[in-house]
Amino acid sequence: MTKKITIYTTTTCAYCDMVKKWLGSKGLTYDVINMDEEAPEVRQRVIEMSGAMTVPVTVVEEVVEEGEEPSFRDITVGWNPAKLGAAVRDMVAA
Amino acid sequence: MADTKEMHDLVIIGAGPSALAAAVYTTREDLDTVLYEKGVVGGLAAITDWVDNYPGFIKGISGLDLAQQLQGQAERFGADIRLGEVTAITDEGKQKRIETTDGTVWAKAVLISTGSDYKKLGVPGEQEYYGRGVHYCATCDGAFYRDKKLVVVGGGNSAVQEALFLLKFATHIDLLVRSEVKASEVLQHELDKRVEEGKITIHLGVTTDEIVGEAAEGSTFKKVTKVLATKNGEKVEFVTDGVFVFIGLLPNTGFLKDTEIKLDELGFVLTDKNLQTNVPGVFCSGDVRSGATMQIASAVGEGATAALKIREFIELQERNQVTPVGELV
Repeated sequence: MTKKITIYTTTTCAYCDMVKKWLGSKGLTYDVINMDEEAPEVRQRVIEMSGAMTVPVTVVEEVVEEGEEPSFRDITVGWNPAKLGAAVRDMVAA
Repeated sequence: MADTKEMHDLVIIGAGPSALAAAVYTTREDLDTVLYEKGVVGGLAAITDWVDNYPGFIKGISGLDLAQQLQGQAERFGADIRLGEVTAITDEGKQKRIETTDGTVWAKAVLISTGSDYKKLGVPGEQEYYGRGVHYCATCDGAFYRDKKLVVVGGGNSAVQEALFLLKFATHIDLLVRSEVKASEVLQHELDKRVEEGKITIHLGVTTDEIVGEAAEGSTFKKVTKVLATKNGEKVEFVTDGVFVFIGLLPNTGFLKDTEIKLDELGFVLTDKNLQTNVPGVFCSGDVRSGATMQIASAVGEGATAALKIREFIELQERNQVTPVGELV
């Protein structure tokens, strides 16, 4: 299964910076969606997805074709290296 | 058989401004220095939106930029910053054993620079709605409150500074202050301007009692809707979309409670005038130290002082001498 990582951030979020550095230290690449630059609908989508009004929100999920639902999706709210580590374990090994 | 024990000259617990300043000094002295950080590198400074009183920056600097500069400077000289938590320190005489979430390491000296964290209100609803309307980091979560109404609890520098920052997003802020506003003159002046503009309303003598939330119609997502409080013995309520809490600081010394390192009655670490604790070779600097001024500039200065005293300690120890522990203050 091919996975991708997306980090939802804000410009001034230090914890988001920690997530980026941590993923970088594992040699992982990721997309960044900066909530400061996005429409309100994106913020609402992140709230619904994460169940929280906070960043960072890091989504690790299966890469699928448009319209398909990924069979794997892990959402980490906040700076939580233990949880993130479990979500990306096979990506680091690959 | 090879000795696999991981030994360092210095282990610094924490990676805030004080720790990073100390690391700049010790690494430049060629002391092998490892830092352990369980939260965010840069500490509370990194989540402060703007730092206006740190010398050397004419226009001020964002807390995140300052943290990144400090980290980059320390790493340039070889500081090894690890993401992990220290769970115990044991004094084994000439070396200290440090238990971490990544295993055990030893060091000739230890510097405790774990800083402090924002206090919680300890009221019903606070834990339940954490991240869903209750927040302690304006720079992280402020963006969720564009065109919304907020409550900020607290009346010190942090509360006022972060309330002013939150006005980048929020239309109005109710500032709930238990006694009186105790912010610096500069912040007070800015606050007064926002009050005149009708953007902030200050409520003095208010004690927060409960944070209440509910799900909007057609949604299962429960979030904060109001704050219940008491003013002059009367129950009052503030309708809001979210609450940011900045009511003071608590030292990060939980991991020291089963050690012999002495703390003051509030849990801050006691040191002598050389910043050494009652355990020889264990030093302390920054916000976590008893008597700290809770200023970034002071924390950085203490970090530098501690580094010089640690170098002296290690040099003496190598000659089988000790730096005596002075009177704890």
